[in-house]
Amino acid sequence: MSNSLRPYLAVVRSTLTTALTLENFSSQVVERHNKPEVEARGSKEVLLNPLTISRNENERVLIESSVNSIRMSIKIKQADEIERILCHKLTRFLMQRAESFIVLRRKPVPGYDISFLITNVHAETMLKHKVVDFIIQFMEEVDREISEMKLSLNARARTVAESYLSAFTS
Amino acid sequence: MSYRKIDIDAYDEDVLQESELCEPDPRDPAQVLSDAKQKQAAVRSSLAKGDIPGALDIALDSAPYGPNVEDAKNLTLQTVVSILNSTKSSEISNVVKALSQDTQDTLMKYLYKGMGMPGWGDVSGSVLLGWHEKLTEVGGTGCIVRVMTDRRTV
Amino acid sequence: MILLEPHNVIIQTTLVDKVAKPSSLDIQFVDFDGVRFHLSTPERKTLVQLSMNIRCWDELVKYGAMEVLQREYGSLIKSQAEAEYNVSLDIDLEQIPADEEARDNFIKSMSMFKRNALAAPFERAFRQQKELESSGQAQGELMQVHYRDEEAIYIQASPDRVTVIFSTVFREETDRIFGKVFLQEFVDARRQPSIQNAPQVLYTNRDPPLEIRDVPGLRHTEDIGYVTFVLFPRHFANAVISSSTISHIQLFRDYLHYHIKCSKAYMHSRMRHRVAEFQKVLNRAKTEVATTERKTVTGRTMATR
Repeated sequence: MSNSLRPYLAVVRSTLTTALTLENFSSQVVERHNKPEVEARGSKEVLLNPLTISRNENERVLIESSVNSIRMSIKIKQADEIERILCHKLTRFLMQRAESFIVLRRKPVPGYDISFLITNVHAETMLKHKVVDFIIQFMEEVDREISEMKLSLNARARTVAESYLSAFTS
Repeated sequence: MSYRKIDIDAYDEDVLQESELCEPDPRDPAQVLSDAKQKQAAVRSSLAKGDIPGALDIALDSAPYGPNVEDAKNLTLQTVVSILNSTKSSEISNVVKALSQDTQDTLMKYLYKGMGMPGWGDVSGSVLLGWHEKLTEVGGTGCIVRVMTDRRTV
Repeated sequence: MILLEPHNVIIQTTLVDKVAKPSSLDIQFVDFDGVRFHLSTPERKTLVQLSMNIRCWDELVKYGAMEVLQREYGSLIKSQAEAEYNVSLDIDLEQIPADEEARDNFIKSMSMFKRNALAAPFERAFRQQKELESSGQAQGELMQVHYRDEEAIYIQASPDRVTVIFSTVFREETDRIFGKVFLQEFVDARRQPSIQNAPQVLYTNRDPPLEIRDVPGLRHTEDIGYVTFVLFPRHFANAVISSSTISHIQLFRDYLHYHIKCSKAYMHSRMRHRVAEFQKVLNRAKTEVATTERKTVTGRTMATR
């Protein structure tokens, strides 16, 4: 892991652990409803200050918390067109499978690439520190995956070009 | 406009207003700004002496909060960032330990504020991340909770 | 299989089968670029008719496709092509050479039907280049082969070289970006000492190159790319080299898109794997739900319905 990534993830980890203090909370606006307040935004007093953690302009995390749910959005580094398209494909691929990822949101928050929505139910049925581990590992690997995909694309392109052109000289 | 789209809850007598969530800063915005400027000067002289905990104490004492004081807030952020940037990474732990709990909380608020606006002024991501890590070690997660819950945003 | 083969495998394998054991036959199939084939035995089992339909047939005839096919297939070409097809061959299985090697060559040449038809403009350009070189004229005519709906090959001879330009459309954003990466590598690959002799490759996106700038009806959109190959006389010095160059360059567009699709498929399988890994990590977070068997007082198990 590179040096500047470690403190970034450490900060995300501590903030996320702190934010994941959730409890069951019924809606104050609609009777017999119980919904993630961070999404419903029904009552101001249960929403907490959103926190941003950024490594630089292109990589940041937004953690919005409320009494019974938190929403965490990640902006993944995209240096050029290729990384942008690869990142888009990968996140889309993941979000289409949001059903099995439970804590994943189907759509990212505007300005970010991927979002997670963790509610009190998730916090009760899953181990909190392992959920945090999952998100941290996700952040670690998503960067690596994208750069590896980019490298493999370039390597393939090179082989393809060389074998095509060398057929002319034989 | 369609009647269905009207947010009738907003017309409720008991509706909660933004201003009811926290007490506004009693000071006058102009005075807050001049305070911030004075503090900036004081911080410079403390920094010149190498007294970083002292400088942070001055900068973070009665920090501006609430609406209408954007200028003072930004000025204070600038002051705090200048202190953070001029601290050696090995000294951070000791500096943080020397601060009172309230000052630690205020410092944490400024760290998050700084990270929320990357590339603004001379805010540097890695410096803030380093400080955050050390501050969490000393102040614990309670420090972060207080930033999240305190409505007196800086 | 990195390189694509110029011959059609279906024609080849079918003919090999039928030579060994003639039987009645009626198959239709397609090759790259929407070329349609029809193999049938309308009269008797030993007389196979092979018909082909190419989108740009009229253009190819203009550039001498008939002469090339006449040279390759001679009397096999039927005077009247089958309906809905451009050209037909009659292959009499009883008159195929008996010698094994000669027979393989014959079948191979049948399976190169499409390649030979498309070779006409290239051969013509190579001849023109020789003429221009000796007569010292400026430039030959610009030959256009619209072999796909929106894509074309442009061929032009000059006194010292032959320029071949492919226009290609990338339908999707991903294809466009992947295509850019691939084409950039084509441009860069020539720096390698081992392939210094390969044709020079130029690539432009959106704006057509100078040679075809005046051609009417060109699109100027972000999704179109132009690839220029500059063939020097050494690439068509003699019959063997020039025929291999033609076979090879014809398939450039298919080769490029084939590999773009392969890369996408690879990315997809890779993402699938990665997602499975993430899933495992998340599953570790789930708490174990106690699944002890519940029994009633009488000893019967509670079954969930």
